[in-house]
Amino acid sequence: MNKYIAGIFFASALLGAFCSCTTPEAKSKIVINEVLVDNQENFQDDYGVHSGWVEIFNTSYNSVNLAGCYLKVSSEPGDTVSYFIPKGDVLTAISPRQHALFWADGAPRRGTFHTNFVLSKTKDNWVGLYDSGRKLLDEVVVPAGVLKTDQSYARVSDGSDEWEVKDDSETKYVTPSTNNQTLEGNPKMDKFEQHDSAGFGMTITAMSVVFIGLILLYVSFRIIGKIAVKLRKRNAMKAHNITDKQEAKERRLGEAPGDVIAAIAMALHEAQGSDHDVEETILTISRVKRSYSPWSSKIYTLRENPHKK
Amino acid sequence: MGEFINFLQSNLADFWTYTGFYNATYQHFIMIAVGIFFIYLAVAKEFEPMLLIPIGFGMLIGNIPFNMEAGLQVGIYEQGSVLNILYQGVTSGWYPPLIFLGIGAMTDFSALISNPKLMLIGAAAQFGIFGAYMIALEWGFDPMQAAAIGIIGGADGPTAIFLSSKLAPNLMGAIAVSAYSYMALVPVIQPPIMRLLTTKKERLIRMKAPRAVSHTEKVLFPIMGLLLTCFLVPSGLPLLGMLFFGNLLKESGVTRRLAETARGPLIDTITILLGLTVGASTQASEFITWDSLKIFGLGALSFVIATASGVLFVKIFNLVLKKDNKINPLIGNAGVSAVPDSARISQIVGAEYDPTNYLLMHAMGPNVAGVIGSAVAAGILLGFLI
Repeated sequence: MNKYIAGIFFASALLGAFCSCTTPEAKSKIVINEVLVDNQENFQDDYGVHSGWVEIFNTSYNSVNLAGCYLKVSSEPGDTVSYFIPKGDVLTAISPRQHALFWADGAPRRGTFHTNFVLSKTKDNWVGLYDSGRKLLDEVVVPAGVLKTDQSYARVSDGSDEWEVKDDSETKYVTPSTNNQTLEGNPKMDKFEQHDSAGFGMTITAMSVVFIGLILLYVSFRIIGKIAVKLRKRNAMKAHNITDKQEAKERRLGEAPGDVIAAIAMALHEAQGSDHDVEETILTISRVKRSYSPWSSKIYTLRENPHKK
Repeated sequence: MGEFINFLQSNLADFWTYTGFYNATYQHFIMIAVGIFFIYLAVAKEFEPMLLIPIGFGMLIGNIPFNMEAGLQVGIYEQGSVLNILYQGVTSGWYPPLIFLGIGAMTDFSALISNPKLMLIGAAAQFGIFGAYMIALEWGFDPMQAAAIGIIGGADGPTAIFLSSKLAPNLMGAIAVSAYSYMALVPVIQPPIMRLLTTKKERLIRMKAPRAVSHTEKVLFPIMGLLLTCFLVPSGLPLLGMLFFGNLLKESGVTRRLAETARGPLIDTITILLGLTVGASTQASEFITWDSLKIFGLGALSFVIATASGVLFVKIFNLVLKKDNKINPLIGNAGVSAVPDSARISQIVGAEYDPTNYLLMHAMGPNVAGVIGSAVAAGILLGFLI
């Protein structure tokens, strides 16, 4: 019966786990985050020039190096321009959750972050980011006509799926090389301060989770314990050549009560204790013999002294 | 000649401004006195000497006054100083998981496996964390600080350091010192609460001897423990992962050398570095504040709440247990994860009323469950607040 209960428990646990699992979409760590096509008075590059730009965002909590990746741009079928992000520049490594800005100025000789393309101000711009193996990591089409001068097309917040036009209004502002949405506080903390200022909610939730975790362990090991006891009894019956369960129960086969174990342990302790000298003044030196292992071999740990010539 | 004497005088005057005597404030002397008191407790009273000696001496090191504007790079808060480099293990939070690795490699979970219902006591005692959390909120701390302070109630130094380094780094010194101090004071704090909340009849309850646990069960425990707890609370992974990994090294039976290293030289090394740097982080200028005082008060309260909730939970639990399966409420205090001190207290207090009633092995169950429980609680707080 217990086997059935165990089976049902694990089957339902597995089923529950699988049902609650979601299939994660293979999302790239680096994404195109914001694009500005017509730059007149917006951010200027280190040469003091206003050009369009493409911002890349590292969504992960680890550094990602863009060296060897490709930025591709196309405004008409067949006119794709490909920019190879050079290797050997430490600045191409983007820190966790940080940005890199590439200037669409058609002047690659000005440095790693100046590309060989410019963005079309009149047509749709397709921008693609490829890894060194030419696998598409992310792409976006910046629609023509929706962007005015100095406006950008950007993800609502860093790495999010929705895009919007950043028109430099109160809530939608152009953000080259920085977060698309600036947090003016800690939303989690604010939520707790607003709804759970006394901490009851946190206490109830967290204590429930602690209990659930340990109850899961309890149930699992209750079942495992029962199975282990049964197995032990069965093995003991085999060893004593007994098939009758009632007889096995009467002879308490497979049971090892704590007091019996304690008595055995004490007897062993006493027996071992008698091997040693009782007198405090006598020093017993036991010879330690270790089996050979190359890991502990002295030959490998000795340093050769310089020879005198 | 006169110029040379002037030069010597100004040199000596300069030197004087660099000395500890010149830069000392009364706060330095307070902290040095606290450090010496910790060393006294460790040496004379043998209260957690492995912790209090490094922390106490660390307090002395951290509170030697020096000219902080001279850029000597000697202080723990000066980037690039030796102490600062050693302190990175605390601030980045990688000492505590290594300590947990060692704890896992030295902990025998048999008592828990043989009587798994004792795990629930380990869960109940975590109420100390959240009780202190609520009081800390009431006393004006923000939720992140309150959570970092509340974790003192878990009675688990590494967990307290780990969580406070993430949630409230500015309070970490006070939280760590408070957690370790109260862990050392478990023999003073817990017995009166245990006596107060139990009747004489309850204190005499004899528990069923634990059954022998098979090797397979012991090997399964860390694997299932990791999977069940970390699937539920992935943010507890650094602590729980290392705890269960250390335990698997011990119980697998085939990695004896690794287990010995984890529970021996490794945990000793990390304990030295952790204790010393935590002690040194109590630099008077950063440490002596009203907040530190409040943290010490909250720490004491959290220990009291944790102990009381463990004991009371057993009493309530007994109402639904069969007569021959009753639990002695004196092991309820062991739900806090001060291993093995709180279990030892269960034994000592129990023996006062019945010297032939051995509660130690039973108390080890909730005690190690408390380690798991407090790590899970830390994971939850981290997940909610960071």
